Amino acid sequence: MKKISKLFSSIGNYFKNFGVSLAKGDIWVKSSLVVMGAGYFARKQIINGIIMLLVEAAFIFMCIFYAAPNLAKFGTLGTVQFEQTFDPLTMTSTVNDYDNSFLILLNSIVALFIMLVFLFVYIQNIKSVYKLQQKKEEGIHINNFREDVRAMFNDRFHITLMTLPAIGVVLMNILPILVLIAVAFTNYDQAHMPPNSLFTWVGIRNFKNLFTNSVTVTFGYAFGKILVWTLIWAVLATFTTFLGGILLAKIINNKRTKLPKMWRTLFIIAIAVPQFVTLLLVRNFFADSGIVNTICSNVGITDFLKNIGLVSPNLTYIPFLTNPNWAKVMIVLINIWVGVPYQMLIATGVLMNIPEDQIECAKIDGANNFQIFWKITMPYIMFIQGPALITDFVKNINNFNVIYLLTQDVFVTSDQLLANSNAKEVDLLVTWLFRLTNEYYNYKMASVIGICVFIICAAFTLITFTRMIKGDREEVFQ
Amino acid sequence: MKKTVNSVLRHVVLLILAVIWLIPIVWLVATSFSGYRGINIAHFFPQSWSFSNYSALFLEPDSVVQYVAWFKNTLIIAIFTCIISTLFTLMVAYTMSCMRFKGRKFIMSFSIILNMFPGVLSMIAVYFILKSLGLTNSHLGMIIVYSAGSGLGFLIAKGFMDTIPVSLREAARLEGASEAKIFWKVVLPLSKPIIVYTIISSFLIPWGDFVLAKLMLNSGISSDWTVAIGLYNMLDKSLINKYFSIFCAGGVIVSIPISILFVIMQKFYVEGVTGGSVKG
Repeated sequence: MKKISKLFSSIGNYFKNFGVSLAKGDIWVKSSLVVMGAGYFARKQIINGIIMLLVEAAFIFMCIFYAAPNLAKFGTLGTVQFEQTFDPLTMTSTVNDYDNSFLILLNSIVALFIMLVFLFVYIQNIKSVYKLQQKKEEGIHINNFREDVRAMFNDRFHITLMTLPAIGVVLMNILPILVLIAVAFTNYDQAHMPPNSLFTWVGIRNFKNLFTNSVTVTFGYAFGKILVWTLIWAVLATFTTFLGGILLAKIINNKRTKLPKMWRTLFIIAIAVPQFVTLLLVRNFFADSGIVNTICSNVGITDFLKNIGLVSPNLTYIPFLTNPNWAKVMIVLINIWVGVPYQMLIATGVLMNIPEDQIECAKIDGANNFQIFWKITMPYIMFIQGPALITDFVKNINNFNVIYLLTQDVFVTSDQLLANSNAKEVDLLVTWLFRLTNEYYNYKMASVIGICVFIICAAFTLITFTRMIKGDREEVFQ
Repeated sequence: MKKTVNSVLRHVVLLILAVIWLIPIVWLVATSFSGYRGINIAHFFPQSWSFSNYSALFLEPDSVVQYVAWFKNTLIIAIFTCIISTLFTLMVAYTMSCMRFKGRKFIMSFSIILNMFPGVLSMIAVYFILKSLGLTNSHLGMIIVYSAGSGLGFLIAKGFMDTIPVSLREAARLEGASEAKIFWKVVLPLSKPIIVYTIISSFLIPWGDFVLAKLMLNSGISSDWTVAIGLYNMLDKSLINKYFSIFCAGGVIVSIPISILFVIMQKFYVEGVTGGSVKG
């Protein structure tokens, strides 16, 4: 709560400063409202002034030729349908001047974003021009251009460093997220694909669809099922690999284990091979007519499993990756194979730093190994690795590779209701939304699911959020 | 007596686990030397041995196998991604760790929240943005995809830089060093483990990535692909019986440099990360 009120008060101050600058500024500050470089020219910062003028000119140019035409259509996302007319005389086809809904949406968001940035620059401009005025009145030295440039590598070095990465993040993360949030409120799908057809705003209809379950719309059913499996998967995947990693590290790091380095390397080799190679290989390993099935039926395991009812009697193979329940178990097991060596490496680092004296004390007091593990080692590991556990949990919610590479093209769902929504039993929310976009072009529903995934992940991360960036910890070691 | 039994037991358990972990790798290597091109479902080890899969990979490119081209594409993308990502990550990490300015905490919280947005989802919008710029199916587009957002991954490097004593920077400042000089001459030389870690991990991204490449490189021309897409394509239902052993050979070749780098990276990771976190 305190943070939120602090945020609002700092926003308030931001605009208050702007007002003060404007009210107390002289004629040059005020004229900077119209001609952005004016304040700089008056204080003989010619180059700064020219730069500001150019920024202003570029912005006006952008508004007229880019923002205005796109934003005018932003409300409807275009009205002119794509039409192609074939002229039999010249044997050429001509295309009318059609509207591309997606480009309108994208360009409008970019334009709005630029406007927001410009507004910030504009306010900042007035403030810094006013500061120059104050400096002049008090007779303080005003930097010339060369000194300004030098400051960019000193007091203001953070601006120099952050500019390029920030542009990258805006391009790759912020703009796409804004576009997709917008798409969630449109009817952009296979029936409304630009450039051939238009799409438009539909309000919160897609969100309603995600939670309805009727004869035609089965998204509610699919969403519930997949959400439950996603959460079960994330819990299982996180804890099995975490505990497995600690146990493996304990075994390898035991003082009486010979050649610990060799053992560690053997396990690392297994994960050093790129995941797409190993996972695709393992998928063929466990295929219905794969080598494991051949061995199992030769040894008699298949028949044994049939007898105890784990494999249905009319199958001649074990459906490792084709039966929903088998596949889920296999995915978790294979994920242990993928994840334990990683956790082992991290746990090794943590275990090496456990304070020895505590363990010695416990031994003198007569504690056995089991007690030491649960009362000293585990609490210590949990203290260090606790936040990482939550991060791992969120990563597993979005663990695309394991599920997709193991089940894509292999697992076919027999549940008609799931199939109607293009979902499968073994899907996570992310693989489901990937399939919705990549195979079925159902962008609207994929965006809605994406927003849900985000909310879920955010809720879990908020638990550790304050701990991670509290900031009291970061200066302790410096 | 009890101790000996325990010790033997421990080694037996380790041996069993190691075998389980290495079976797929052994199968990969064995199959890559198989004389039979499809999947051998009856025997674990191939019936006949040959080098023909490797020669097919390098010497007989066809419409499906363009291994040399894939390797070259991936290498070019990886080198540029590595340079840009490393610079971005270190720049942001230094700013966040060593400089104090208004809005720093806000930017940090904001980037953590931003990182939570499922990457797969935003990729689809990225695809459209790059498509409208005409950058899909190009090296430049892939480099942008892999490296542009890398500034967000600053947390590990920042954690490391937090452990560099602030007195060193203050001493440099007293002697008149500018912030840029402190960055280059003081903090970066002290961050070697984390720099090596960042370099290798960003170099490895294009080699291991599958999803983004599949989205962006959709022209269907196999010489445009990266290794991951090319190898995945070989396992298509219509191709798998002719190309499975070649897939294994390709997997082995790509794994050798990658695993060496990975092992080096792990060493530096343990040095850099646990070194930093444990002090806390």
